[in-house]
Amino acid sequence: MAINPLEYLIDPHRRIYWVFLFSSVVIAAIFLWLNPKKRRLNFSKKLWLHPSALLDYGYFIFISVFKVLVIFPVLIGAEEVALWVNDFLLTQYGFTRIEGFSYTQVMVFFTLSLFILSDFSRYWLHRFLHTVPWLWAFHKVHHSAKVLTPLTFYRVHPVESLLFGLRYSLIIGLVSGVFIYGFGAMIDVVDILGVNALAFVFSLVGSNLRHSHIGISFGVIIERFLISPKQHQIHHSKQHTNVNFGGFLAIWDWAFNSLMLSKSVNRLKFGIKQDEMKKFSRFHQLILSPFYLLFKSNS
Amino acid sequence: MKRIIVLATLLFTFCVDAVDKAFFEQVIVHNVERSIVSAKQISTSIKQGKSKKSQALFTQLVRNWKKVETTYMLGDLNEDFLDTPRYIDIFHGNNEDIKAQLDLIIGTNDDLSYALYKHSHKTINALEYLLFTQDLSNARVNAMALIMAKSIEHYLQEIKSAYQTHQAKFVQDEQFASAILLNTLVNSAYALKEWRIGDVAGLSKKYKGHADARRAEYAISQNSTVAILSILQAHKQVIDASSHKDFGDVARKFGAIKEINKTIDLLNQAIAQVEKMQEQDLPNPKGKLLYQSTNQLMQSYYLSLMSKLGFVSKVLDADGD
Repeated sequence: MAINPLEYLIDPHRRIYWVFLFSSVVIAAIFLWLNPKKRRLNFSKKLWLHPSALLDYGYFIFISVFKVLVIFPVLIGAEEVALWVNDFLLTQYGFTRIEGFSYTQVMVFFTLSLFILSDFSRYWLHRFLHTVPWLWAFHKVHHSAKVLTPLTFYRVHPVESLLFGLRYSLIIGLVSGVFIYGFGAMIDVVDILGVNALAFVFSLVGSNLRHSHIGISFGVIIERFLISPKQHQIHHSKQHTNVNFGGFLAIWDWAFNSLMLSKSVNRLKFGIKQDEMKKFSRFHQLILSPFYLLFKSNS
Repeated sequence: MKRIIVLATLLFTFCVDAVDKAFFEQVIVHNVERSIVSAKQISTSIKQGKSKKSQALFTQLVRNWKKVETTYMLGDLNEDFLDTPRYIDIFHGNNEDIKAQLDLIIGTNDDLSYALYKHSHKTINALEYLLFTQDLSNARVNAMALIMAKSIEHYLQEIKSAYQTHQAKFVQDEQFASAILLNTLVNSAYALKEWRIGDVAGLSKKYKGHADARRAEYAISQNSTVAILSILQAHKQVIDASSHKDFGDVARKFGAIKEINKTIDLLNQAIAQVEKMQEQDLPNPKGKLLYQSTNQLMQSYYLSLMSKLGFVSKVLDADGD
């Protein structure tokens, strides 16, 4: 596990892997070529050297080290969960082996299941982070960004990182355990550079633009299925925080009535309430403010 | 934990590395050929009406057939052969009482080619019943036993021929080959632990606390521990053999001698336990020890399977948005 934050750039499993950044830059360049009015803001120092952006950069270094040293060691692994699930199924239902599927078919089915269920669980955890008051206290750290940069993705409180890590272990472990029980060693993941192929492709088509000021929309039809960068930017706006919780897929937002299409919103102002923004403007506040706010609300 | 992951990774590496032509010929095909020889020998002995010799050859057939069954992968290479082992052996795959049916057939004068119409009537389990409970000098019993031995030989020949036909498919795709090979080991380890030992020792979920020696695979001929030993030896052929490239070789190549020996020890430990066991030991503490060893063996196979998936490396950042 990388402890050097710069290794994130050369690790395909990271959102800011150089290939994903590069593809985002290419897409952004095309967007700015077609929308000259947006160039000024996106090339301005005010954006990239904004105090909020600077805080993102510093916080990214902190959280990447903190995750390796503190969070990962205490997290239960997906392997342990998968072993437990498989063992549970073996004990409850005895040994079984599903036959009649080719290696490729099982691989595709497993890859799809991992991707869909992982995205589904991401949707719900994200939604809970907004709707459960004590979780929202921690998630405010992410939403307190006044400007969006690709590193805003990593502006999450350690408690939130822990929850997402736990979600990952439980869902990936559960899906893997069930597939191992049914198919044994016949399972594998369709991958590109070692990453789930679907996640890789979606990351390649501009996932880093979700946290940016490049407001690319996918149009009213596609935005019901896939979350566009603009839709996620809407989610970061002060007025529309409780919409577009989806990760890659928008179908969950569509199905559970939290979808907002890009065409519905024109002006975006990022962040949270003005009085709360002050409580998340410095490094130590990102760590401590959620606890302070929770303590204050309980007393 | 780190050691286990290293071991599991190496075990998988071995699987990918080892499933080559030599492995296929020296283990898979060779085991079938030896079983065919056993089946032929037993046919000859039955023809000659030699009861004791046939019983001894039956033990040999069990020993060789269990190796074929343990590493049986033909169903994965060609679906048409998924059920072939069921035509030879119905242990834990058939609830019917073939003993009563065979007694009925012995007692009538019906043409045997019609009377023995069921596959289960021509299996190794049926043959065991005849050789160890009936009089082989009885012409009808003798004829029945011969039909059974010939049927077993026929299906073994089919298996051999099909393996040779599908050898290219197995050797060409290492990823697929290692997957089906690992699956056979997992399947076999589970069946060994749960059915062949757990059910007898009263340790399986189904028979918890109710040991019964009659549930042993070859309770009639007292060849159950022979079968268990042969199954474990087949595992050894796959993960710790001297005649072809194996897990130990790959481990030594990576310098992880101590760690690898620890895993192989688990298998050797189980083999040593069985070698000291008598048939009647299965339901007692020795059986319990063997149950635990084989359970650990199964877990180690599952761990190797997990390492193949590389959980940590197949996803993007697990953070939210």
